[in-house]
Amino acid sequence: MFATTGRAQAPSSGAMFQQYCITCHNSKLKTGGIALDPAKVDQAGEDAELWEKVLQKLRTRAMPPAGLPRPDEATYNRVASALEGTLDRAAAEHPHPGDLPNLNRITRTEYQNAVRDLLGLDNLPKEMDYSLLLPADNSSSEFDNIADLLFISPATMQRYLDAARKISRLAVGDPNIPVMVNIHRLPVQLPQDARVEDLAFGTRGGLAVHSYFPLDADYVFKVEMAGYVREPEQVEVTVDGERKKLALVGGGGRRSPGNKPLEFHLPVKAGPHLMGVTFLLRTEALDEATVRPRTRSRGTLPAIGTVTVSGPFNPAGPGDTPSRRKIFVCQPSAPADELPCAKQILSALAARAYRRPATDADLQYLLPFYESARAQGNFERGIQEALERLLVSPQFLYRIERDPPNIAASTAYRINDLELASRLSSFLWSSIPDDELRAVAAAGKLREPGVLAQQVQRMLADPRADSLVTNFGEQWLFVRDLKTKDPDLYLFRDFDETLRSAFEQETRLFLDSILRKDRSVLELLTANYTFVNERLAEHYGIPNVQGSYFRQVTFPAGSPRGGLLGQGSILTLTSYSTRTSPVLRGKYVLQNLLASPPPPPPPNVPALKTEGNAAGETLTMRQAMEQHRANPACASCHARMDPIGFAMENFDPVGRWRSQDDGKPIDVSGVLPDGGKFAGVDGLKKMLLSDPERFVGALTQKLLMYAVGRNVQYYDEPAVRAIVREAARNNYQFSSLVLGVVESVPFQMRESQKPEDQTPAAKTAALEKSR
Amino acid sequence: MMFITKKSLHRRTFLQGLGTTLALPLLDSMIPALSAKTAKPTPRLGFVYVSNGIILEQWIPAQTGANYELPPILKPLEPLRDRVNVLTGLAHLEANTKGDGSGDHTRAAAAWLTGVHAYDRTQPGVQVRLATTADQIAARVIGKDSPVPSLEMTVDTPSQGSCDAGDCFYVNTISWRNETTPNIAEDHPRIVFERLFGDGGSNAQRAAQVKDTASILDSVTEEANRLAGTLGPRDRSKLNEYLDSVRDIEKRIQGAERDGAQSVDLPDRPIDIPASFEDHTRLMFDLQLLAFRADVTRVFSLIMARELSLRTYASIGVPEPHHSVSHHRDDPALIAKKARIDTHHVELLSYFLQKMRDTPDGDGSLLDHSLIMYGGGMGNGNLHRHEHLPCLLAGNLGGQFKTGYHVAYPENTHMTNLLLTILDKAGVHIDQLGDSTGPLAMKTLAVS
Repeated sequence: MFATTGRAQAPSSGAMFQQYCITCHNSKLKTGGIALDPAKVDQAGEDAELWEKVLQKLRTRAMPPAGLPRPDEATYNRVASALEGTLDRAAAEHPHPGDLPNLNRITRTEYQNAVRDLLGLDNLPKEMDYSLLLPADNSSSEFDNIADLLFISPATMQRYLDAARKISRLAVGDPNIPVMVNIHRLPVQLPQDARVEDLAFGTRGGLAVHSYFPLDADYVFKVEMAGYVREPEQVEVTVDGERKKLALVGGGGRRSPGNKPLEFHLPVKAGPHLMGVTFLLRTEALDEATVRPRTRSRGTLPAIGTVTVSGPFNPAGPGDTPSRRKIFVCQPSAPADELPCAKQILSALAARAYRRPATDADLQYLLPFYESARAQGNFERGIQEALERLLVSPQFLYRIERDPPNIAASTAYRINDLELASRLSSFLWSSIPDDELRAVAAAGKLREPGVLAQQVQRMLADPRADSLVTNFGEQWLFVRDLKTKDPDLYLFRDFDETLRSAFEQETRLFLDSILRKDRSVLELLTANYTFVNERLAEHYGIPNVQGSYFRQVTFPAGSPRGGLLGQGSILTLTSYSTRTSPVLRGKYVLQNLLASPPPPPPPNVPALKTEGNAAGETLTMRQAMEQHRANPACASCHARMDPIGFAMENFDPVGRWRSQDDGKPIDVSGVLPDGGKFAGVDGLKKMLLSDPERFVGALTQKLLMYAVGRNVQYYDEPAVRAIVREAARNNYQFSSLVLGVVESVPFQMRESQKPEDQTPAAKTAALEKSR
Repeated sequence: MMFITKKSLHRRTFLQGLGTTLALPLLDSMIPALSAKTAKPTPRLGFVYVSNGIILEQWIPAQTGANYELPPILKPLEPLRDRVNVLTGLAHLEANTKGDGSGDHTRAAAAWLTGVHAYDRTQPGVQVRLATTADQIAARVIGKDSPVPSLEMTVDTPSQGSCDAGDCFYVNTISWRNETTPNIAEDHPRIVFERLFGDGGSNAQRAAQVKDTASILDSVTEEANRLAGTLGPRDRSKLNEYLDSVRDIEKRIQGAERDGAQSVDLPDRPIDIPASFEDHTRLMFDLQLLAFRADVTRVFSLIMARELSLRTYASIGVPEPHHSVSHHRDDPALIAKKARIDTHHVELLSYFLQKMRDTPDGDGSLLDHSLIMYGGGMGNGNLHRHEHLPCLLAGNLGGQFKTGYHVAYPENTHMTNLLLTILDKAGVHIDQLGDSTGPLAMKTLAVS
């Protein structure tokens, strides 16, 4: 209020704190548990936890509270920058990489990808789906790879044992593999009137699945219709696009042969195949919009209910599969060749699985399994059992980082190249390192000038980097929750599985294009393009898009779409089933895009009143929320969330554009606690971009958390700031953030253990032993 | 749909309607004979959790003692009223906020079998930290000789997001192996079946498989021990988690080998999760009954409804999510709906208890020799209260106390005291569990 603006008389930082802060934050009052000593501001690094908090309050202008005297903008900025400098210098002098266990159990996703890269096994038979093979991991802190939350219990161990047996038999092509029953159910809300992507033109409905057939053998196919089929229909079964069966179904009465499930044997070669089961179109081609049902259902035409594939029966042999090619790097031609060949095979597998060069000790554990099974069976059986053993090794199930010998306790040090390579492949691929990365690391060259950056660029260009979209992106944005959303059947009659998967696909393709084209991450908010197919285009009101495949479209100037905030996925998952929720949307933006979530609400919150005081009067969402906010206990957080959500009110609960809510005009204006005014989703985007470092900083925090597998703490803030500063020079290109994370202290270093440090599990175990 | 009847288990007819069933020989060597008549019947314990509080006005009987009038929610237990006790007045005070703010649902599930306050939420980050639960304490004693010491099941889909403050593991399970290891509750009948009885293959293949697994476990133990020698103390403890799990399975396999190849007629392996909640729940109960009969496991826990559950119950006319309905704000229509859900859960429990009652075991029935505790960590769900908790005990562990009573305890009697007593009656003697102050007085129920 009384602050002078003249630069010449700029007071010291200490004076600013003295003037504006310590009236409340002194050692006597300790308002909010915080006492500041203005004299200590130059040694802020000594209490970084406190001063990082102060810095954040200054940067967001959250303190002093509105209504009390505040410094002017220039002072705010000057003091904040000085404080930031002090904290960053202290962090550079004393790096604090944070606390991570030396043993990180791999997640289910990492296990799945590791099996893919180790054994060339990608899609498993439905019965062996990973969701059934291994228990889900804890996704409590937004990401499921938080090291402290990953554990092994007897039930998990049992599943690892079972998975190892099943996977090794599948990979090697064990002729005695048990019969599997793979049931593919088609959702009740999936219309089957249009062609399924991946299947031929002139077909409609059914399914296309990337499946796996364990052996060259017979398989029993059973196709059940979803209901009574009056008029005969032709059903076609294809394997890799080739017609294997054409059958007439339907016709006659309910109990007629045509209305019995279709059941037949087919010989199929071992390995991955695209299996299609579909109807041949009876009518001349109708465009999708014409045939699309108006209500959620399987559609207007007969539909397939389930497709069950059982087998293998009468196996002819293991066939020639990608995994056999990957495993059997040699084939013994004489008995004397067998042991050397087994050693060669197992060394190659161990090196990949254990993420380091194989040792004699590794073979010492694996060979006995080869030998005993070889003695009882044959060479391949020997390899299978050794592989089964390898897949439950602690060196596969854990990523291990070891403190160097004789290092003092609690000392920050750089992890070695092989450990760094493992961190890299976990971060960028959610998998094990490939041969090139491992070789570079084993040679100790990973940190030579330019090498790390070159490896990062190579890995980002690799298809395996898809995991940054499907594992990082979809967890960061909560897109996985879309599956659990069920918009009201009567209000949103045509929200079906086709639309739901189009939402998911749009966001996936959008993230993928930012990653693959290395765009600025600001485009996540500002892009004037997106990816749609006919169904989604119609939902968004985009003309002239035909067919079920996705393509990039550019929005006309002034369109409110574009960027994540205009995508059906995010708009739907932040709504209730019957209405939008400005609160959920506001919270989503704060938590996911700005990394500053509001605290959870207190219990027994009164429900929103949607009826006005006068009889028959209904309130708009805004009026109802404003009444709710009159309660001061609710106001402090809602003042931050609601304006953001209101700005997005032009999007309905399934992401359609609307200009009215229940016949009333929508007011999309809002004021934030700091006085910032904005209106509509465009205004919201401008507000978010007015301080790009906030959004980029938040994304960086999420990336860092995912990359190192722990929550981001105050001591990581200097690293986050450095990454953002550096990325700014490259227009916030995605790869610059990734590289920044890879080169940061938390990613490159770790802290040696405290000797007395014992986890509770250890204490419990010790206690149990002593009993 | 056909379920196990009291006389026999029909191969192939069991689990009809669940899609294709598959005839598979079972791992006979893992199934000991049906419990022969022994002098002392085996105690068995079950813990069944229901969430989001209960409509207390329709749960708490108006009269105490015997011959009380069954309140509406308990009506489905009419055929079993002489076999159950209703205990009221119990509380989990450690589930109260204690300065942590929200998270009442989380704490309710966490405290139920521990009496321990879930971690301090005023600290940054999420920690996995609680305590060994009563079922696990029991499993270590009465389950130590059974192939699967304890079974953890759920019929409510585990949540991966949208939990109280992100700490889903507190609501996805009610069973903790130790302070830092929650047991994963399994919702897929096939996985439960395979855990109990193994998966496909001929008898000979299965016997070979048990042997193979045993040698794998030996070998990984050796490897992990050697690995531990190269690690610091903290990682050794992380590795202990792995070794501990390996040892647990080793014990089970040794038990299976020792018990030899005796068999009970078993149904086909269930393939899929039944579409309806009711069928799913009954199937899981059937599997548990089978596990009791075959003496594969003696301790189980089952989450019938998870805290914060958003399940809708269209089959009983409640299309709204359970958690939303539980915050009824004294709206009579919503109260009626929540009571309908509560009653429905008791109906499903009644299905299981009647089967237990009708299954012979030694000189009586399975129910006679068991104790099934049914309830949750929240009383008034609308207000998130942790007193007046719903609590029902079925069976009396072979006549260790009387049944057929409503016993009203003084308000805020510690639920953990009851847990101590239950463990004690099952032959598991410990001094303290969470906030317990001593065994629960059981004057009314005392057997003279």
